[in-house]
Amino acid sequence: MTSTIENNEVVVLKPEKKEPLGVFFWVCVGWLGVNLLAAIFANFLPIWGPQDSNNYVDLNTGPSFSHLLGTDDLGRDILSRIIYGARVSLGVSFGAMFLAFFIGGIFGMYAAYRRGKLDLILTSVSLVFLAFPSIIAVIAVLSFWTPRSILKITIVIAVTSIPLVYRVIRAATLSAATKDYVLAAKIQGATDRRIMTKELLPNILPTAVSFVMIGIASVIVVEGSLAFLGLSTNVTTPSWGNMINESRSVMQVNPWLVLFPSLAMCLLILSLNFIGDRIRSYYDVSEVKL
Amino acid sequence: MSSSPILVVKNLTTTFITGRGRLPAVGGVSFELNADETLGIVGESGSGKTVLSRTIMGLQPRSNVELGGSVQLLGHEIVHASEDELRTIWGTEVSMVFQDPMTSLNPVMTIGKQISESLRVRLGMSKADAKVRAIDLLKLVGIPSAEERYDAYPTQLSGGMRQRVVIAIALSCSPQLLLADEPTTGLDVTIQAQILNLIEELKSKEKMAVILVTHDLGVVATRTDRIIVMYAGRIVEMGRTRDVFFNHRMPYTRALLESTPKVSNPSHTRLITIPGRPPDLYNLDGGCAFAPRCAYATDQCRQEAPSLQEANSDGHLFACWNPLPVGTSPLNQQNSNEPNGASNEQ
Repeated sequence: MTSTIENNEVVVLKPEKKEPLGVFFWVCVGWLGVNLLAAIFANFLPIWGPQDSNNYVDLNTGPSFSHLLGTDDLGRDILSRIIYGARVSLGVSFGAMFLAFFIGGIFGMYAAYRRGKLDLILTSVSLVFLAFPSIIAVIAVLSFWTPRSILKITIVIAVTSIPLVYRVIRAATLSAATKDYVLAAKIQGATDRRIMTKELLPNILPTAVSFVMIGIASVIVVEGSLAFLGLSTNVTTPSWGNMINESRSVMQVNPWLVLFPSLAMCLLILSLNFIGDRIRSYYDVSEVKL
Repeated sequence: MSSSPILVVKNLTTTFITGRGRLPAVGGVSFELNADETLGIVGESGSGKTVLSRTIMGLQPRSNVELGGSVQLLGHEIVHASEDELRTIWGTEVSMVFQDPMTSLNPVMTIGKQISESLRVRLGMSKADAKVRAIDLLKLVGIPSAEERYDAYPTQLSGGMRQRVVIAIALSCSPQLLLADEPTTGLDVTIQAQILNLIEELKSKEKMAVILVTHDLGVVATRTDRIIVMYAGRIVEMGRTRDVFFNHRMPYTRALLESTPKVSNPSHTRLITIPGRPPDLYNLDGGCAFAPRCAYATDQCRQEAPSLQEANSDGHLFACWNPLPVGTSPLNQQNSNEPNGASNEQ
């Protein structure tokens, strides 16, 4: 018998039917999109200016037709201030996560791929930083680094997020880097850089994207807390955190003032968390049914 | 038809430095491989066969490993070569097929891209040329409707198909030596035979040498020219396949042969196992590593390690103080089926 190749083994599986992302996922993406667009194009929206307080007639009104979400105790439009406040929240959170992933992600991938002493040192340093509550570090730095600006806040939050990002990316890379396909690419002559960008990066991308979403959500909370403590932008720039802080004193008179910025923050964080979670489970290979 | 050796391994040692001490995973291995040869390396788990094949590839990490001796592959010295030097050899002169096709393909890259990548990077082919060649390679390893499969992801293929893709990647830059490290362990039995036949077929088509690493003697029986039997990181017997099967002298080779289940046995036959456990490589005393498990062991075996000696002029070597008599292989006895052997012993 000649050694021909029998084709009876040929089983080509149909691409697995994945559970669709779902309506709620797209609602969340839509909400994030609305927030982003509103923040970017706030200047062009047919809304009051965030500092338009020349109207002393309408103070602490509830929602009405002229002021959809009402006004605060200086007569400023709440909707407008929330939209302009989104600029701070989204700007700081996206900026900080981008920076943290750029630095922490590269170090995490490199350490996990190369291992050795560099990995040991970076991992030890990251553990030391993680053992220290980062919010205290952020408060300490921002108390002295004045005058505060959005850029400074972004940098401080980014730096304190790097150790966590490093840990997550390192772990994701580690599980991919020990697979035989990395070795297989290597013995076909692929360089380390090629292996990292072409073989490893696509494998850790789902983890990274979902962690970015959750990271952004948590930075929004951190920025909100800082603003509440008066450590974020100064009062002339509205942010969700300092809106809540300012309206504390008139809460009994006008509860809308606390409610709307809190609701804006809550809905955005919920959307981000849900998006991150769905992306992770959608691309998780281990959950694919065989 | 014999030609000059393409691989010369001389007194190769691989020692891992671990927290528990020094672990001599491969100790003093020497052999040669000719260009048109298929060599089988057999041994049970932990015998050092995988470490040996990875050391030959130059894949041992630089830290915590001590390498000694020499590996000459087509004139290149592998031991202590830098990764940049090795990168010029990998793929084009030596390549490797891994054990588990489930993990040796990148799950997020199409198989076509995985094959054409190395063609484009190593051989500088254009995108279109690489695709044509990749489809040819897929056809060569027997994947039907290769044009359509080119864009398939690994999860869309069965285990046997994936191993064929792995082989196609390994062959993409026409290596002269293919190292197959247990290439059929992750596959079921009918597909094992197909993959082994494929490797054999490609060996003669592509004119390369093959090293087949396995724990399964059945795999190497009909497909190799020579066999190396390893135990505790050392070669204990080496020779032409026929000699190792029918005229082996080392009791460990016998034990391995006897512990292979046979279809011809009546059902409920108790499988013969090798008593004891593989040796603790951290604490090898001076004697033969197999002595504690060997029925023929004497005091000399426990005190002094035997070195390889010639059994015949055909390159059949064994390391044993009390070798088995020639021609007493259980395979011979099955054929003759005479009860003489048993009565003589009485």
